[in-house]
Amino acid sequence: MRLRRQKSVISRRVAVASATLVVLSVGAAACAGPDDKSAAGGGGKPQRGGTLTVLNSSPQSDFDPARLYTSGGGNVPSLVFRTLTTRNREDGAEGTKVVPDLAEGLGKPSKNATVWTYKIKKGVKFEDGTPVTTKDIKYGIERSFAAELSGGAPFLRDWLIGGATYQGPYKDKKGLDSVETPDDQTIVFRLNKPVGDFDYVATQTSFAPVPKAKDKGTKYEEHPVSTGPYKVVKNSGDGERLQLERNPHWSAETDAERKAYPDKIDVRSGLNSSVINQRLSASQGADAAAITTDTNLGPAELAKVSGDKKLAAQVGTGHFGYTNYLAFNPKVKPFDDPKVRQAIAYAVDRTSVINAAGGSSLAEPATTFLPNQESFGYTKFDHFPAGASGNAKKAKELLKQAGHEDGLTITLTHSNDKNFETSPEIATALQDALKKAGITVKLQGLEDNDYEDKVHDAKDEPGLFLAHWGADWPSGGPFLAPIFDGRQIVEDGYNFNSSFLNDKSVNREIDEINQLTDHAAAAKRWGALDKKIGAKALNVPLFHPVYKRLYGKDVKNVVISDWTGVLDVSQVAVK
Amino acid sequence: MSEALLASETPGTGAATAPAPASGARQFWRRLRTQRAALVAAAVVALLVLVALAAPLLTALEGQDPTSYHPGLVDSARGGVPVGSFGGMSADHWLGVEPQTGRDLFARLVHGARVSLGVAVVATVLQVAIGVAVGLASGLGGRWLDQTLSRATDVMVALPLMVLALALLAVVPSGFPRPVLVALVIGFVGWGGIAKVVRAKTISLKSLDHVAAARLSGWGGVRIARRELLPALAAPVITYAALLVPTNITVEAALSFLGVGVKPPTASWGQMLTSADVWYQAAPQYLLLPAAALFVTVLALTVLGDGVRTALDPRAASRLRIGTGRKREGAA
Repeated sequence: MRLRRQKSVISRRVAVASATLVVLSVGAAACAGPDDKSAAGGGGKPQRGGTLTVLNSSPQSDFDPARLYTSGGGNVPSLVFRTLTTRNREDGAEGTKVVPDLAEGLGKPSKNATVWTYKIKKGVKFEDGTPVTTKDIKYGIERSFAAELSGGAPFLRDWLIGGATYQGPYKDKKGLDSVETPDDQTIVFRLNKPVGDFDYVATQTSFAPVPKAKDKGTKYEEHPVSTGPYKVVKNSGDGERLQLERNPHWSAETDAERKAYPDKIDVRSGLNSSVINQRLSASQGADAAAITTDTNLGPAELAKVSGDKKLAAQVGTGHFGYTNYLAFNPKVKPFDDPKVRQAIAYAVDRTSVINAAGGSSLAEPATTFLPNQESFGYTKFDHFPAGASGNAKKAKELLKQAGHEDGLTITLTHSNDKNFETSPEIATALQDALKKAGITVKLQGLEDNDYEDKVHDAKDEPGLFLAHWGADWPSGGPFLAPIFDGRQIVEDGYNFNSSFLNDKSVNREIDEINQLTDHAAAAKRWGALDKKIGAKALNVPLFHPVYKRLYGKDVKNVVISDWTGVLDVSQVAVK
Repeated sequence: MSEALLASETPGTGAATAPAPASGARQFWRRLRTQRAALVAAAVVALLVLVALAAPLLTALEGQDPTSYHPGLVDSARGGVPVGSFGGMSADHWLGVEPQTGRDLFARLVHGARVSLGVAVVATVLQVAIGVAVGLASGLGGRWLDQTLSRATDVMVALPLMVLALALLAVVPSGFPRPVLVALVIGFVGWGGIAKVVRAKTISLKSLDHVAAARLSGWGGVRIARRELLPALAAPVITYAALLVPTNITVEAALSFLGVGVKPPTASWGQMLTSADVWYQAAPQYLLLPAAALFVTVLALTVLGDGVRTALDPRAASRLRIGTGRKREGAA
């Protein structure tokens, strides 16, 4: 049990890191809403051909399906790795749906959602022409348990029967019994608990087939065997430059999701974010057919771009399910008093916080913990209405009731990283707003690693800090459970339940919703649970970020789903 | 020779052989006055000090303060760029407002001057005190003391100041008042140069007859230092200090720029530059104001420091006079 705990601790930490990454990188561009869609890049029907350049800051390191940690299979990885299921490649809310990829249809769950069965399509081939079987998918999943191939998502380790102790195919030749392949087209997963969201998890790259004969262990990442529309031609500097070309054995007949218009894709990473935005706005030479999958426009860059009509048309807007909030540790005085927490919730000035985060184009006010998207179960509520700029009067009243009529001095912990999320700018804006309610805020700025360690350490957690959360797939479960499930409190290690909520009725509701396989029904209940927890004032939701990303002037067919919030590489055309 | 004899007979008057304080000061002012650039620089520095001291008064006159947010003065949909031309300059906000927050830039600039100048002056005083003490002890002390202190000085000079300061500032608890801390760190890290100058000068002075005489008559190290050496050291030390002030201003700005200097919402020029660097295209005045303030201050202090050095250096001073004389002759 202890071992299990530790394992999930490590993986959770990765989860956060990747959640941040997803946001930073996946997030920005754009979902051009309905109007942008028509205008998207130059007009005209998208044609096949040409080379698409991807200008990124972070490299595609460890380009191995077992080691990648992605939301919905990732952007660039999804060009090479097909998975059991995948994201619906559509604009906006339609894009939060999960659709079959290698599988013929979505999974067939058993009655309590603990056994999931998939049938895969016939005629899908690897880049060398060998047909893909479910044994390859099982092998791919088993690889993700090997200690030497670390980095992937933790969910299967937590959920598959025997997953906690399985060591991977190199040490444990017998394989993982809870993944069964009765024939080459069928695969069955046996889980130790109900997981209604299993179809969403099956989008992750650990569900990509890996041919056992071609597995080279840690060296596999240099040339992973493709099932997608592109294969890796050259991978230099551990994903710093990734050159992809068409995979002749991929066929659009078995793949309804990936459009694959360009002939070649050249991913260049290690670039400074301002350089990326400068190059995309200049759109010279190859940069005219370039996009970025990881760099947003900052406030100052947005100010410049929005003043230029031509450039403004080259910006995509996207929404990724994400919430930035003020977290309380109710173990620390005076935050043990709900009245104090409520007073702070009333006092926040969301206008100045949003301005500090980059303004109304880059952030939307949040009063719910769940992101403002239907797929998460968004249910509108505002338990402590602060208005646009804070309700200092109501806050003072509550403080008086709590016995702090002479004012209150508190410390707000934030990161010194300039990320417009947990950064000093946001903290200072809150400091100014709380001053009006008679609350003196002292700022404790920490170096970023130090900050991440401190706020996730159950023993050392500050009383009040800036926090953020994003889910691995667009559903209420991964959004609420890690933060509010009392059984997920981690005493020694990385803890995300920062309010230490351990409420039997909440835990029971989480278990019950997890059994639902009807996403809409589950979403409704997640929304109701969010509203119920929100009344406890365990945190103050501040804003949901919006991603704005530039793309080159020749880029066409811009599709931005609410699942990723960023332009989908598989849909882009450059001719 | 007679001077040396005189000194050996009455060591106490040794100070008279070095520039006497009173006449020295008068001479110094006279020499400084002949340099127009230095005078202008001195006026600029005086004005800056005045502005820094009167910062609360000036902002009260404007009717603003450096920390209040004005969300209505920025265009939220455009990333928070100030509304209006020239960064939102108006009768209420003389130099416009900060992007994203709408805080008054004039108020932040003049309050920032207090931090920048205050930290630099305190740090310089510390550097001079430590440097002179170490240099004197090293120059007058025995071989062992000299060796130890000299090596320590070498280490201080060799260590990159920024790296050391970054490390120190990162470990100190956040409750410590930040501007004081920054001044202390710069002061305690940057005294190596002045210690070297003082040691070298002390060693050359030590061999002079009046110092030797003082030693022979049994004076202690402290008395010799105070009566015989310090007056002679005044010129190089003041010169060095005058040039340290602008250096320290830039160090403070750099530390704040890197995020380890003063903490928000306190304004300092370096901290303003950090937040402004990305805005150079969308709101140029936000970057230009603190940059110009820093540039003018450092330039004025450097010119003034140079003037002080020239005025205190007898050779340079006479060259100055000869130079002007010759020029006049040539023109005639």
